[in-house]
Amino acid sequence: MPSEPAPALARNAIDFVDARHVHQALAALDAYGGEATVLAGGTDVVVQLLQGLIRPRALVHIRRLPELAGVASGERTEIGALTTHWELGTHPAIRAEHAALAQAARTVGGRQTQNVGTIAGNVVNASPAADLLPALLVAGAQVAMRSSAGTRSLALERFLVDRKRTALEPNELVTALSLERPGPRTAETYLKVGRRGAMEVALVGLAARLQLDDAGRLGDVRIAVCSVGPTAFRAHQAEAALTGSRGEEEAVAEAAQLLQAAARPIDDVRGTAAYRRRVLAGLLARAVSACVRSAMSEGGRGRCS
Amino acid sequence: MQLRLTVNGRAHELDVPAQATLLDVLRDELGLTGTKQGCNEGECGACTVLVDGKAVDSCVLMALAAAGSEIVTVEGLAAPDGTLSPLQRAFVEAGGVQCGFCTPGFLMTLTAALRETPAPSEDEIRAAIAGNICRCTGYTQIVEAVQAAARMEARG
Repeated sequence: MPSEPAPALARNAIDFVDARHVHQALAALDAYGGEATVLAGGTDVVVQLLQGLIRPRALVHIRRLPELAGVASGERTEIGALTTHWELGTHPAIRAEHAALAQAARTVGGRQTQNVGTIAGNVVNASPAADLLPALLVAGAQVAMRSSAGTRSLALERFLVDRKRTALEPNELVTALSLERPGPRTAETYLKVGRRGAMEVALVGLAARLQLDDAGRLGDVRIAVCSVGPTAFRAHQAEAALTGSRGEEEAVAEAAQLLQAAARPIDDVRGTAAYRRRVLAGLLARAVSACVRSAMSEGGRGRCS
Repeated sequence: MQLRLTVNGRAHELDVPAQATLLDVLRDELGLTGTKQGCNEGECGACTVLVDGKAVDSCVLMALAAAGSEIVTVEGLAAPDGTLSPLQRAFVEAGGVQCGFCTPGFLMTLTAALRETPAPSEDEIRAAIAGNICRCTGYTQIVEAVQAAARMEARG
């Protein structure tokens, strides 16, 4: 339904800071003392603003900051905060080494959203259903942040505090995501279940990154999920149950039980908690068998679906 | 606040509030009502315009965030003498338009898609329009229109 701007917003003028340098954006965040909202692609922020869910005194626009753009592969893969979903889905280095992230990015909204929505926006918005989060979690992502006082880095697992809550301070900007590059005999995937194939918020999303050891057993096992709790999370107990196995049925069944026990899904308009738990088990089995097959056949670094 | 941008080749300088979206400015300030407001939350694609060549939902883009950009709306697709673009002609001929509300958004999304992929497969066409909703046509005639437009462009 077409809607008028929220009346409160229409009355209260807000400021717009079109930052051209990082220090300018950080100075603005300091000046507004927690009452500014950072604006990048805006696909979440603008909706929240129009619906009156946030009422900032200022928008600090960071889209034009070249320091926050670009992808670089060194010891780790450094992905600039402003990298869009479309770029994640099409960038050769990300498709080759971070297949789960590339796959997840291609499931977010339509082309219009992918053209402007950024990786840091998806992370900072911290939706329980954020597609990029499971893929970033299995890649051991570190969140790089900067304030006028300095820089710091935090594991994404610790950055995600609760539903839509993160460890980001009001005076800080996320500048980049840093990912572990995959070793040999490693494969990863992101699987998502929704009601339709496009423009869908995940009912359940699951990312896996599996590394086989020399004997063909699962060495480094990483499983992360979204939409089955207040925030996306790594399923450490399920990972432990799979470690040392060859992905046999019993090991996967045990891991699935532990994954279901760790999940705290809710009933909502998209599906029930009971359905989400059932789907989790199925996605885990599909992800493990696909990744094991791919890690064996390709010697690793493959996408596995 | 001052906003400078170019819309359909014409430069504009406007005074807009920070909370105005690009859609607000196009429709209310510039009178370009071809761009439609549907869901107003970036789900339906009716408000799609090109910003520096990329398809974007103008309802979730702050106008001031588009400062300095080149915007193309549906009003900018036809030639100055009114000759429709091949894609517009194909939509008419294939019956890709029924009620017409979603049409400007589809045309903009597909104009960008055809520049990127001049001869798209049916799957590529359907993927390209994932962010546009049409409640009338069932999409089949829209897909046929894109295929016809691609053939017209190939013939030159």
